Amino acid sequence: MASEALVQLFHVYKQYAGEGPALTDVTLQVGKGEFVFLTGPSGAGKSTLLKLIFAAEPATSGQLLVFGRNVAKIKASQVPALRRAIGVIFQDFKLLPHRTVFENVAFPLEVRGLGPRDVSRKVNAMLRSVGLELKAARFPLSLSGGEQQRVAVARALVGDPALLLADEPTGNLDPDRTLEVMDLIEGAAARGTTVVVATHDRSLLERHQRRVIALEAGRVASDGDAFRRISGS
Amino acid sequence: MALRPLSFVRRALEAMVRGPFMTAVAVGTIFVATFVTGLFAASLSGAERLLGAWAGDVQIAVYLAPGADLGAAARAAEALAGGREVEVVTPSEALRRLKASLGPEAAALEGVGAEVLPASVEVRAPGISLQEARALAGKLAAVPGARDVDFGNAWLEKVELLLSRLRWAGLVLFAALALGTAVLVSNTLRLGVFARRDEIEIMKLVGATDAYVEAPFLIEGVLQGLAGSGLAVVALYALHAILAPRLVSAVGLAAPLLRAQVLPPALVLGLLGGGAALGLVASALAVGRYLRKP
Ligand SMILES: Nc1ncnc2c1ncn2[C@@H]1O[C@H](COP(=O)(O)OP(=O)(O)O)[C@@H](O)[C@H]1O
Ligand SMILES: [Mg+2]
Repeated sequence: MASEALVQLFHVYKQYAGEGPALTDVTLQVGKGEFVFLTGPSGAGKSTLLKLIFAAEPATSGQLLVFGRNVAKIKASQVPALRRAIGVIFQDFKLLPHRTVFENVAFPLEVRGLGPRDVSRKVNAMLRSVGLELKAARFPLSLSGGEQQRVAVARALVGDPALLLADEPTGNLDPDRTLEVMDLIEGAAARGTTVVVATHDRSLLERHQRRVIALEAGRVASDGDAFRRISGS
Repeated sequence: MALRPLSFVRRALEAMVRGPFMTAVAVGTIFVATFVTGLFAASLSGAERLLGAWAGDVQIAVYLAPGADLGAAARAAEALAGGREVEVVTPSEALRRLKASLGPEAAALEGVGAEVLPASVEVRAPGISLQEARALAGKLAAVPGARDVDFGNAWLEKVELLLSRLRWAGLVLFAALALGTAVLVSNTLRLGVFARRDEIEIMKLVGATDAYVEAPFLIEGVLQGLAGSGLAVVALYALHAILAPRLVSAVGLAAPLLRAQVLPPALVLGLLGGGAALGLVASALAVGRYLRKP
């Protein structure tokens, strides 16, 4: 199993400048093809952990291997290659308001230097799979929250990443929209993508019977089967 | 990763259309810098042309040592001057000319013998430039029996010295202008980079390299530099068309100040290249400061 691990953290600490510790002595592994929930109250360090994984923030100390590559010591020039293998659904979407839905989703492909024909084919297929093919020419702010979230999912998945990180992907969605988005993420997992979803929504943990890593005040409080954890608490 | 230069150019043009004010300021600043530099350089080459026209009939005199062989000296001078008109001036001819130039005062030379004046060989070189005159004078020093070579117009030398100092001043001016412009334009472009910081952040988050993020900004800088210096060249051409005929008639010059002389292709290319380089440096500074920021 260890050789199959996609993400490995060993005694990782993270402290933002002028703040208390955000992560303390975090050790965990996520295997290839696994679907993991990262949960815990607000401020527990979920977002920070995800940021460390795609090198948006440096770890203060500890070892952090992603695809077997030591992200704790990664060179700036190697960061783009790492990020191209990771799809991220950001909590605040991070869509560009002055770009169309199509252009937003095309971004990760253009950055890879794909030609316009390939970009167009892949983006259109992706938009169809998230049910937004008719909104391709719209601007994000003219869409509902659920639709914007699906644009964010589409952009994270369009590059066919080996690892999908989702930060509160259902954070401000009503139950129906939540189902839609989680179906998309489950779909990616079914196609073999390794998935880490940060959420504080317990109903998600109950509905999706998956491994749950719980953080509390920056430490791993528990790590195991969702059902046991929920019923045991 | 495939290189898509056209997509970079498209992104650069899009950015320029989206930020017309910033584009105008950058283009305008580079325009002023290249226009001032071009005007200075054109004035210098114009002044040199005028000077050359005034210098006109350059005469180089090779003064000979007493007892030198006049005939041999004349033949040597002819050979060295490459077929130019060569005249032998004997001491008595020199004295006659001196008396003629003195007019009524010539009486003062009464009793002075011709032998006090040196014999000389004169080479006439109409329309020759100062540099060529100096080079020719240098060659003529090899005439057998030559003691001194003189090409009269000493004042031309002074003016030429002044011009060469001005050329240096021009270089210094250009360097200072270039530096100031680069800083000014990069500050302007930095606003543009700042306005697109979200886009840059997201590009980097989805795996863009610094080069990918930078390229459109650099292309934008080069295009703005070319636009600014291109406008400056057009303005200089227009100024030439208006001023040159007036100047020529004002100083009563026979030869026109041709555009190719005042604004030679080398200068025009230099201005365009300089403008492009300015834009490139300015945008590299602007985007570099942002990208390298932690
Ligand atoms: N950019 C930042 N600068 C300083 N402190 C931060 C920053 N991001 C998060 N923190 C702090 O780190 C801790 C963990 O935050 P976060 O990872 O966002 O938790 P969660 O996503 O579980 O709500 C919090 O105390 C938060 O205030
Ligand atoms: Mg968070």
